[in-house]
Amino acid sequence: MWDSAEGFFGSYYIYWISVYLFIGYGASLLTLYLSGIFLARRSIKRTKQRSIFLRAEDVVSATDIPSVTVVAPAYNEGLTIIENVKSLLSIQYPYYELILVNDGSKDDSLQRLIDEFDLKRQDATFITQPIPTASVKHIYKSRKKKYTHLTVIDKNNGGKADAINAGVNFANTELVIFTDVDCIIEQDAILKMVRPYLEEDDKEIIGCGGGIGIANDSVIKNGILTELKLPSRLVPMNQVVEYIRAFLLGRMAWSEVNGLMLISGAFGMYPRKRVIEVGGFNPKTVGEDLELCIRLRKHMEEQKIPYKVVYLPETLCWTEAPSDYNILIRQRDRWARGLWETISLHRDLLFNRKYGKMGMLYYPYWLLFEFGAPIVEFLGVICLIAFGIFGWINWPFAILLSFAAYLVGCVFSTIAIFMYIKSFDHYTKPKQIIELLLAAYLEPFYYHPLLLYGQMLGYYKKIFDITSGWGTMTRKGFKVSKS
Amino acid sequence: MNEATVLFFIIIIFSILVIYWVSITVSIIYRRRRTASLTQIELTFADIVSRYLYNDPKNPLTLPEITQTLRDVGIKEQNKNNIQYLIRLMIRTQRTILGSNFYKLQKLYAQIPPHGVSIKKISSWSWYRKARGIREIYEMNQSQYFDEIFKYRNDKNIYVRREAQIALVVFLGWESLRFLPYLKRNMTLWQQIKIVEKLYDHYPKPELKWLHRAYKTEKLFGKKLLMRIIRKYELHAETDFIINNLNHPDYEVRETAIYCIQTFAVSTPTMDYIKRLYDEIPNATQQGQLLNYIYENSDIDLDFYLKQLYGTNDDLKLSVAEILWNNGYKEKVQEFYYQQYPNAVLNVG
Repeated sequence: MWDSAEGFFGSYYIYWISVYLFIGYGASLLTLYLSGIFLARRSIKRTKQRSIFLRAEDVVSATDIPSVTVVAPAYNEGLTIIENVKSLLSIQYPYYELILVNDGSKDDSLQRLIDEFDLKRQDATFITQPIPTASVKHIYKSRKKKYTHLTVIDKNNGGKADAINAGVNFANTELVIFTDVDCIIEQDAILKMVRPYLEEDDKEIIGCGGGIGIANDSVIKNGILTELKLPSRLVPMNQVVEYIRAFLLGRMAWSEVNGLMLISGAFGMYPRKRVIEVGGFNPKTVGEDLELCIRLRKHMEEQKIPYKVVYLPETLCWTEAPSDYNILIRQRDRWARGLWETISLHRDLLFNRKYGKMGMLYYPYWLLFEFGAPIVEFLGVICLIAFGIFGWINWPFAILLSFAAYLVGCVFSTIAIFMYIKSFDHYTKPKQIIELLLAAYLEPFYYHPLLLYGQMLGYYKKIFDITSGWGTMTRKGFKVSKS
Repeated sequence: MNEATVLFFIIIIFSILVIYWVSITVSIIYRRRRTASLTQIELTFADIVSRYLYNDPKNPLTLPEITQTLRDVGIKEQNKNNIQYLIRLMIRTQRTILGSNFYKLQKLYAQIPPHGVSIKKISSWSWYRKARGIREIYEMNQSQYFDEIFKYRNDKNIYVRREAQIALVVFLGWESLRFLPYLKRNMTLWQQIKIVEKLYDHYPKPELKWLHRAYKTEKLFGKKLLMRIIRKYELHAETDFIINNLNHPDYEVRETAIYCIQTFAVSTPTMDYIKRLYDEIPNATQQGQLLNYIYENSDIDLDFYLKQLYGTNDDLKLSVAEILWNNGYKEKVQEFYYQQYPNAVLNVG
């Protein structure tokens, strides 16, 4: 079997070059992940130590803390919009505004909002719009005293990025938080998020993100997460593990070296001034969160202003993850297209000394390991099949190597779960931890292939210029307890 | 690389996996036991404090008795985590009580097992322990250690010097402002806010002589801190200090001054002076903020607004147009608009 590798001219070289390329790629990724663990561990420890001296309750009564606007775009969310807005309005922060942007919904979202919050149309003649957006029809404010911090912008449809930009235009606070209208935000989340802005000395904070958790099947009461449960279905359960790994290991590690290029669109805080300076979110890409963060970083590098992008390890925002395969694939397809578009838009960063570490390290990492990973994986599958057909594969060796790679993946997931349960008390029951571990160990067999399929589908659409927008993200909704 | 090498690699990886499984199990068991132990300490402490603060003359609670009870629940010198937890409980309790009980609790703190623990931390090499020790000392108002803390006010570690500076405020009150011109390192916004809050909590009555002495500081953070203090205490007679910084060359000092002045209403001559300063502000956004303040706190001064309407910045012109439009000067806005766009039809309102 092995001898047949000599079957045609150059086959020996093709085989070994491929093998060494894949092994080299895997080894580089392994080294990066290992470094990530050490950096994340250091970052979490340091954040925990610092938090003792930066208690939110020390400044909660202060009148000097910055004002914050939460901008939440909504499109056809009529069924759940009232509950969701009430949840966002319940966040505890003394100087807080909520701007809900109705992005041309075709359902009765706006009427429901008008009825529930007793909204009154405002005069918007002289309001400036520094970022161009689809036209704004009307602005509404609540007549009810307890909802004076609510503003609703009714505009023509322009997509998520366009809707957020409209919110930024109308905000008049120092800081803006972008979130999805159906996210459940922890009550003290804003107090924790403004902390880095208040305590930074020599570098300007241009972005701050917080951990995002999955709350499928959990119980929500009065807009607050009262009982966190693990999702009952496997797809969202795997996303719990995936989020723990991504946020606790990945983002915290990058935050430690000021290499964060992405703050999740589900929950991120930025200085309004800087967002306007760069022209807001780019409505032409579906990966608008990644694109904005990179553009902001580029802007600061060009201005030669020292800056930082930070991440907080605590879970401050809970979201509902796709609960079935089809929605998951659509989500990953969109993320892949967003990544493609952003990587392509900012290709001038590649090995560009002008942008310092961002050009020399962070962007190449994203290109090689975030953008490149699905391609390498896909090519790996093709090579496996082709080499198998040619009979070039030493199967016992290949199986052992695959098993080793599988075990390495299990170790990383186990470390992430261990660090999470050690740092936070969200999942403390042995049954929950065992379920998380099992989900992590089963991931490569059914969940990961789906992700790969979704990502490759996104790339395929980009290669063949197949138009596809955000797609419909059907959600089941949280369990709302009325009692 | 051969099969034996990969097999060896698998064994190593699997061993690591087993180590983490064991760690997770230990972590779960430890967390359960620890939670139970902490609950017991908390309940015992609550019982001791209530009996100590409201001592029954017939059955008085003595110090040896307190020490023994605490020892029974694990408050021993060798168990540092438990002692640390007790300190946290004491700080938390002390924050919620007032009057004579406040001082009684501080006395208790100096006499029971945590005694001396905080001051020992100050000599530690670790910034974390050092800053924690200082924090515990000022939270429990152990002013006898003031001299030891004082020397850390310019420490190179931001957390150590922050805690030491807050300790100065807690122990010296308004007098601590006299050290402001001599602080060597920058003070973050968080630190400024915390100092203002601590000063306000502990010393609600202003002592202006210390404030006036601090005015001579050239430190930018010092100026910002003083303006925040004036704002927090609503010291109307001291607004000149804020006003004089409205056109400061430093962006952040101006930002703070514009922010702080918004708390105060000023006399017409002072407002005229502010209007003169308005033109000297080199940043349009800050001018816009000050314009809002001027509009909300004074009568319409047509000359002032018309001058701005014919200025250079479009955003400011729009703000001024809105003010004039909503205050009975629509024709002035129309006149301006027609000058700009002679062939246009004004479509407003």
